[in-house]
Amino acid sequence: MRRRGLVDILLPLSVVLVLVFFYIPIATLVLFSFTSSRFLSWPIPDYSLRWYGELLADRNFWDALGNSAILAGVSTVVATGLGLLGAFAWLRYSYRFQRAFQVLTFAPLLFPQLLLGVVMLLWFSVLTGWLGTSPGLWSAVIGHVVYITPFAIVIICVQMHGFDVTLEQAAEDAGASRWQVMRQVTLPLLWPGIFSALIFAFLLSWGNFYITYSLSGTARTLPTYVFSGIAVGSSPIYPALAALTFAPAMVLIVVVDVIRRRAAKRRVGGRTAD
Amino acid sequence: MAQQKSWRDGALQLTTLPLVLVFAAFFLVPLAMTAVLSFQGMQNYRLSWTWNLAIWSDVFSQWHYWSIMGRTLGMASVATGLCVLIALPVAYALVTRLQKWADHVMVLVVFAFLTDAVLKTFGWVLFLDRSGVMNGMLEVLGLGKAAVDVLFSPFATMIGMVYNLLPYAIFTIALSMARTDRDLVLAAYDSGASRWRALREITLPLAWPGIVAGGVLVFVLSLGVFLEPKVMGGGTSPMAAELIRQSFETRVNWPLGAALTLVLIVIGAVSLIAIGGLAFFAARKRGVRV
Repeated sequence: MRRRGLVDILLPLSVVLVLVFFYIPIATLVLFSFTSSRFLSWPIPDYSLRWYGELLADRNFWDALGNSAILAGVSTVVATGLGLLGAFAWLRYSYRFQRAFQVLTFAPLLFPQLLLGVVMLLWFSVLTGWLGTSPGLWSAVIGHVVYITPFAIVIICVQMHGFDVTLEQAAEDAGASRWQVMRQVTLPLLWPGIFSALIFAFLLSWGNFYITYSLSGTARTLPTYVFSGIAVGSSPIYPALAALTFAPAMVLIVVVDVIRRRAAKRRVGGRTAD
Repeated sequence: MAQQKSWRDGALQLTTLPLVLVFAAFFLVPLAMTAVLSFQGMQNYRLSWTWNLAIWSDVFSQWHYWSIMGRTLGMASVATGLCVLIALPVAYALVTRLQKWADHVMVLVVFAFLTDAVLKTFGWVLFLDRSGVMNGMLEVLGLGKAAVDVLFSPFATMIGMVYNLLPYAIFTIALSMARTDRDLVLAAYDSGASRWRALREITLPLAWPGIVAGGVLVFVLSLGVFLEPKVMGGGTSPMAAELIRQSFETRVNWPLGAALTLVLIVIGAVSLIAIGGLAFFAARKRGVRV
């Protein structure tokens, strides 16, 4: 065994410090969500749930919540579906122009979100000018799909990477049709990846600011609702909103991790049992 | 392992065509449209199809635009350097020292990454504010009345940028380090290499592609931020994205916005190619195959 040195303290310390850094604003928001004061300054005079009440009484909040749910729900399903298709085309097949296909479907990830939003906004403005409509939630859905699909592809590809093709071949040899192989062998094996892609996509869309901001027209989602609010002045309802939305997000992420780990264990277990 | 397919194959068409359609219609065409729009003009808040170079001559003659582009490049470079420098030890620690905790730490990082950036940025404002948590804590620690004023400065903007972009660097670098064969490092130890030497000659070169990828990702994404400069920087030193936003919203000048967007995209692409080239040569010089 090697001697323990300063490095063995400094390296773990860096991880701790980074975690503290990541959770400073999150903890600050949760802390301030319980203030009773109108002003968000330290020290907090008294604790209360007053601002949760104020938030829940705000109609704009409910509108934004509804829009966020629709936007995230639709874009998640579409982006993950496209991501699943894309992952097959990325990894399972080889064909002419494969590299071009990969570049095209990965490029939006390398785009600053605002530019992606602006570029699409220009196109939608011209398009809606011809069609006589205006950008709204529907154009934000398209924007989110273009932005999130590359993430979904990458996540599903990671799951597909260790895929054992012989299982499919065995099913085929046993007389299964192509569709049966897909439904009973391929998709169940890919399920942990698909599931994490779904959750990841949902949260990316739910928390997205730049693309929604550019493309949603007059419809507001939670991030743009908060942005337009804090641009005018800070109010204690935003920390309350943060605390309310952080909790379910954390639960979702932990669930994904548990499922992913269980799947990994099963895979290793299967191998050793052979 | 990959199956050879021709474009006539149904499965290949099914898996590629929907994506090609979506990405062509809503990514490639918009890019082309942006280029086309930069040659048009604006009259009475309406687009007029004039086809001239008026916007471009305006863009190239205004020093103001280029100084903002320069500042954006500077901020993006600093943010990239900081993110990579912070992510390196963290990723290395997760892979070599804290394997047991790595999954849990990653869950925490993913959560911080996926929550609403507007709210997190607002959280920073509350923390850094003159009468915020940080100054309150400094006072308790006896560092006294000298309230630290960091909010609404380029420094605060930088904190926000590093905060929002650091996860990208951590993910890519940790991934490339995790895939490094541990046995190679152990072999180096066995043949008498010091820890420092093993790190320099085995771990870093093998993780190099991940480090470059993380850096490139952070750099490109940091070119387009306007939330942090506006909310944390107080709008005193705007960056390129703010300029683009204003040209659309305040000045309602689409062609100008389109032209500035293109300038930023080109700057990003050129730096990407430059970084990629440099990284490639640096790696080759050290005898690493890329």
